Amino acid sequence: MGFLTAEVVGKFESEQDTSKLLYAPLEQSATFRKSRVYQIKYDGTEEEAQSFVLKSLVDLYADEVSFSGESYFKNFKFYIDYGMKPGALDLEREAIISSQKGFNVSEFKLLSLELSQRIYIFSDPDIGPEPFVRDVCNPAIHVWSVTDSDGRKVA
Amino acid sequence: MEERTNALLLKYPGTNCDFETARALEAAGFSTKILPIARFTEESLKSIQLVVLSGGFSYGDYVMAGRLAQLETERRVGDALTRFRDSGGYMMGICNGFQILTKLGLLPEGSLIDNVSGRFICKWVRLNRNTDSSPFLKGLPESFELPIAHAEGRFIAPSGLAESYLEDGLAALLYKDDINGSSCQIAGLTDETGRVFGLMPHPERFLLESHHYDPDWKREDDGWGTGYFIFKSIFNEISEGVSNQ
Repeated sequence: MGFLTAEVVGKFESEQDTSKLLYAPLEQSATFRKSRVYQIKYDGTEEEAQSFVLKSLVDLYADEVSFSGESYFKNFKFYIDYGMKPGALDLEREAIISSQKGFNVSEFKLLSLELSQRIYIFSDPDIGPEPFVRDVCNPAIHVWSVTDSDGRKVA
Repeated sequence: MEERTNALLLKYPGTNCDFETARALEAAGFSTKILPIARFTEESLKSIQLVVLSGGFSYGDYVMAGRLAQLETERRVGDALTRFRDSGGYMMGICNGFQILTKLGLLPEGSLIDNVSGRFICKWVRLNRNTDSSPFLKGLPESFELPIAHAEGRFIAPSGLAESYLEDGLAALLYKDDINGSSCQIAGLTDETGRVFGLMPHPERFLLESHHYDPDWKREDDGWGTGYFIFKSIFNEISEGVSNQ
């Protein structure tokens, strides 16, 4: 069994003002970038796993993908990962899994898939994650974590 | 036996413009069948002259607009749509259908991504026709209006390609103004055979004169809106071929 983490970033996207994420803008200036993070467990080779990601989850014209497992962007203040709660119906996950099952063209098998949205916050002033968690994450359906610039999970 | 001009409208989970698109196809003269992708086989293409992929949010636009519909289509019928095109069949994709045709590789290389504003745009836009030869646009004026409604309508292509599409007429439809950041303001593309056409605007939403936002808008006295003539143009093209067979 193998593990692979893929982080997908839109190469035509740029840093945007965090007011787009929040119901009330911050007093401090801050920007954000988004990415999608897929964590997969599989049977097969790493090349097959990467090929699955590239074929199914990446737009080769518009996206860049990193398989390193490290955060794609550096110099961020913190980032928030959020995704559906384990018990909640995640239609995106289900659609990807059923699509992959249908192909069955190689020995590659997708054993599990976790997907999350990642939001990087860039800011010089010291701002905390609270307003972002409050306005972006929905406690009824989401689980989330916050990771600081040193790679420590702080929430 | 009377020859019919038949259109097949493929419906994916999340497709939501199928009914009004079927109505537009019927109004233009097509005999139209709406078929869920779950029942789509290569056999379904028998006696079909036009395959239409209408607008909506197939599979919730998950991963990216059109990707899961592309994978599901390939899983079910492989490259049957390519063979259909190569054997003389016509295809049209509207909005999400355009995104799916692009992902399937049936239209010139490129992709439709998030609008540069990062927001969903729903408005009427002015378009310029950039070709005289597309069978989908023969009956249309050089400049006309249609409504758009999309979040992922910004066409991008590898360096230099969008400009080449513009020059050789594959970029058949252009926004008059920069609406969503599309390269060369491309709103619609046709493939090199001319038989596959995709566009982000919704012609089925301007089927009738009365669909226009301006109650005084008038073209002629026949009551049709401009969108009708896209369906009528391709109907005329195909039905001439059918009657000549």
